[in-house]
Amino acid sequence: MIQDTSSGAATQNPQRTPDDRSTSFQAVEGGGETRSGTALMVEAYAVIWTILLVYLVLLWRKQASINRRIDGLEAAIDRVAKKKPQ
Amino acid sequence: MPGRDRQSPLDWLFYATVALATGLFAWTINVVFLQAPVEKTMGIVQKIFYFHVPSAYCMYVGATDCFVGSAAYLIRPTPARDALARAGGELAVVFGAIVLTSGPLWAAKAWGVYWTWDPRLTTSLLSVLIYVAYLVLRAFGGDGEGERKFAAALGILGAANLPIIHYSVQKWSGQHPTVITSKGGGLHHPAMHLALGLSFTAFTLFAIAILWARVRVELARSRLLRAEEDAVDLGLDDRAEA
Repeated sequence: MIQDTSSGAATQNPQRTPDDRSTSFQAVEGGGETRSGTALMVEAYAVIWTILLVYLVLLWRKQASINRRIDGLEAAIDRVAKKKPQ
Repeated sequence: MPGRDRQSPLDWLFYATVALATGLFAWTINVVFLQAPVEKTMGIVQKIFYFHVPSAYCMYVGATDCFVGSAAYLIRPTPARDALARAGGELAVVFGAIVLTSGPLWAAKAWGVYWTWDPRLTTSLLSVLIYVAYLVLRAFGGDGEGERKFAAALGILGAANLPIIHYSVQKWSGQHPTVITSKGGGLHHPAMHLALGLSFTAFTLFAIAILWARVRVELARSRLLRAEEDAVDLGLDDRAEA
């Protein structure tokens, strides 16, 4: 039988003493419930967005590197164009 | 350079795709966390499913893209086909990494273990490792014609594993659930259906946008490489001037 330990029940049963309350925690033997589902879900979503964000940053850096090389090439072209007699 | 920064209709289409994907992601998150009910036996951890499954689908999209680009490159080598294959390989690894991290986090609650050598898990891991090998080859194996053809062969080989992943559950059973089936699937709540449908659409658009951006970057890099080689030949480059 499940004992109701809520405050409402305690008010209806004034005979209960402090010793009636649970005084220890019992582990479920053989169970696999060691992780909170909420924590696992948050971790999963954090990992998903982190992977996507890292990939987008890498892509942006790759594009920035190409832009720098294009700038270098354009500068080289400009230098040669200036040297060239009109 | 005149006209260099002008936006073409394709650019606007790209921005529209990104905007639509972003909006759909926001809507998906709203439906997943505020409307779709908590699953009866697994609890809240089941909500990983709404991003895990579309990620697996995007991994397939990337792998298929790599296969198409690789096969086309072997038939007639062009920089665009090579760029398509390379972008597809990257997409397969990115979404494969998401699948292989979100799945075990769900399994920790549902199965009591992070990893088990289930047929679908094993074949998925194998597939991601093949595409990691493909990217390592592309990054460190040189950029010559021979290396590109060898990579294309690996891109084709990687796709051979895709049907095995898909049919592994039916062929060898295993623990991996099969909620989405041709007989209608196992989602019995309209909000669950909506969440998954939205997520699939958002991920598809996002994958297209990433693929598009990556192909453009790769094509630009390829053109730049040729221009730099020409510049060195003409004595325009800094290295030639030094």
